[in-house]
Amino acid sequence: MSGLPAEIGQEPAPQPVGNDPRPVIGGVGTEMMVHGARCVACGYTLAYSRPRCPVCGGRLESALYGPGGSVWACTTVRIAISHIQPPYGLAYVDLDSGPRVLAHFDPAGSGSVRVGSSVRLAGLTPDGNPLIEAVG
Amino acid sequence: MNAFVYGVGSSNFGKQPEIRVEDLAARAILEALSAAEVDTVEAVYVGTVFGPPGLSQRVLQRVGITRVPVLTIENTCASSTTAFHEAVTAVDAGRWDRALALGLEKMTSVGVGPIEPESSDPEARSGMALPAIYAMSASRYIACFGLTETQLASVSVKNHRQALANPRAQYRAKLSVEDVLSSRMIADPLTLYQCCAISDGAAAAVIGKDRGDRTDVRVRASALRSGGLWDYRSAHVWGFEVTRDTAQTAFEQAALAPQDVDVFEVHDAFTIAEIVATEALGLAPEGRGGELVDSGHTAMGGRQPVNPSGGLLSRGHPVGATGLAQVAEIVWQLSGAAADRQVDGARIGLVETLGGGTAGIDGNGCVVTVLGG
Repeated sequence: MSGLPAEIGQEPAPQPVGNDPRPVIGGVGTEMMVHGARCVACGYTLAYSRPRCPVCGGRLESALYGPGGSVWACTTVRIAISHIQPPYGLAYVDLDSGPRVLAHFDPAGSGSVRVGSSVRLAGLTPDGNPLIEAVG
Repeated sequence: MNAFVYGVGSSNFGKQPEIRVEDLAARAILEALSAAEVDTVEAVYVGTVFGPPGLSQRVLQRVGITRVPVLTIENTCASSTTAFHEAVTAVDAGRWDRALALGLEKMTSVGVGPIEPESSDPEARSGMALPAIYAMSASRYIACFGLTETQLASVSVKNHRQALANPRAQYRAKLSVEDVLSSRMIADPLTLYQCCAISDGAAAAVIGKDRGDRTDVRVRASALRSGGLWDYRSAHVWGFEVTRDTAQTAFEQAALAPQDVDVFEVHDAFTIAEIVATEALGLAPEGRGGELVDSGHTAMGGRQPVNPSGGLLSRGHPVGATGLAQVAEIVWQLSGAAADRQVDGARIGLVETLGGGTAGIDGNGCVVTVLGG
């Protein structure tokens, strides 16, 4: 059901918290989805709300993306960054028919997260970062 | 272009918490003015990222440069190459007869670890520090092009070896591939010796119109652009496209091809960055930049040496000063003044700087400038 307008979702879209710039992720039915946007003119997909389409200037409508995707690139960070304690996995995930999002994964988790791996959105880390897990 | 580098200068590079940034900058400015054989400039363009408000004027009044326009530019790692580009462009347009470009940074005043990610940026807020940005690219190259960890490490070995001949470099070390790979893992697959360190330093250049002095170094071309949207539509790693496109503009302006360049200073903030940069500059097809290191093509004594100064990895990366440190190195190379690290017969040199840190675009800024000839 990726890409359906938000109003078709079964629950109200979660709202960004304060000035938090990260993608908004919430449950839709039993799945975790990114509450993003899509350009009505050119079809460009975004994980964020924006004033207008950055590609063509067209009007954006709400759209849901996920939960599935594939890993475009990934790393495990071994040093503390800000308040995030190492090790933590970071992956660029191309959501099915949707945008590329940065997500966390557990480097010690079950299943392999490598370039090309199939993954799914699993929710948020305790710090509020998008979290993925390997599929299969 | 009707723009020439009359003279350059720099401080030493490294962690120098005991030296004021004003004194690092004064050394660079006075060396550049002396080399240029001038006392005054009509305008100053300054690149700095972490400098406090008013730093440029505070620095300049100490060396008596006052009552002229001073423009301070932040463009992350490309800040002072952007300052250089703006000074060159203004001189070429006839706005000034002579201008000073200055880059300066005192990173030990900011912190001791990796640069703190900017919390207002969506990816930085998620812990996407700069080593992780480049580690992502490395992971992609390993998976898609078969880049090896040995090839990555070899960039660090090469640049540290080249820095042995640069008395101003931060790290002068004879390292083995094993030394590099066994150093602490920072962000897989990048180990500590594949990451540039924080640094303090300053560099400067005096730029002016043609004054008929054969020792001045001609600016053949200079191009600046910010990155385009970088998203699911791109098949290239972060920073590739903006570097490729900026270089293409510069090469067209210079009426030169990548093969015409004798010596390069490129933005090797991490080992993978030099590999991607050399491909984007046209030295190798995409995905085959590792072979340039394997073959010695980009080493001293090779066909097209890259980073004779030691690069960001070894000379150091005081972010706002780096671009002009690169320019200074190329000017010294083209002037035959690079002493023990001189590239024999260097006539054409190229500087490439890539600034990043803003999620969703292919780089905050990229500058490619072609000098000499």
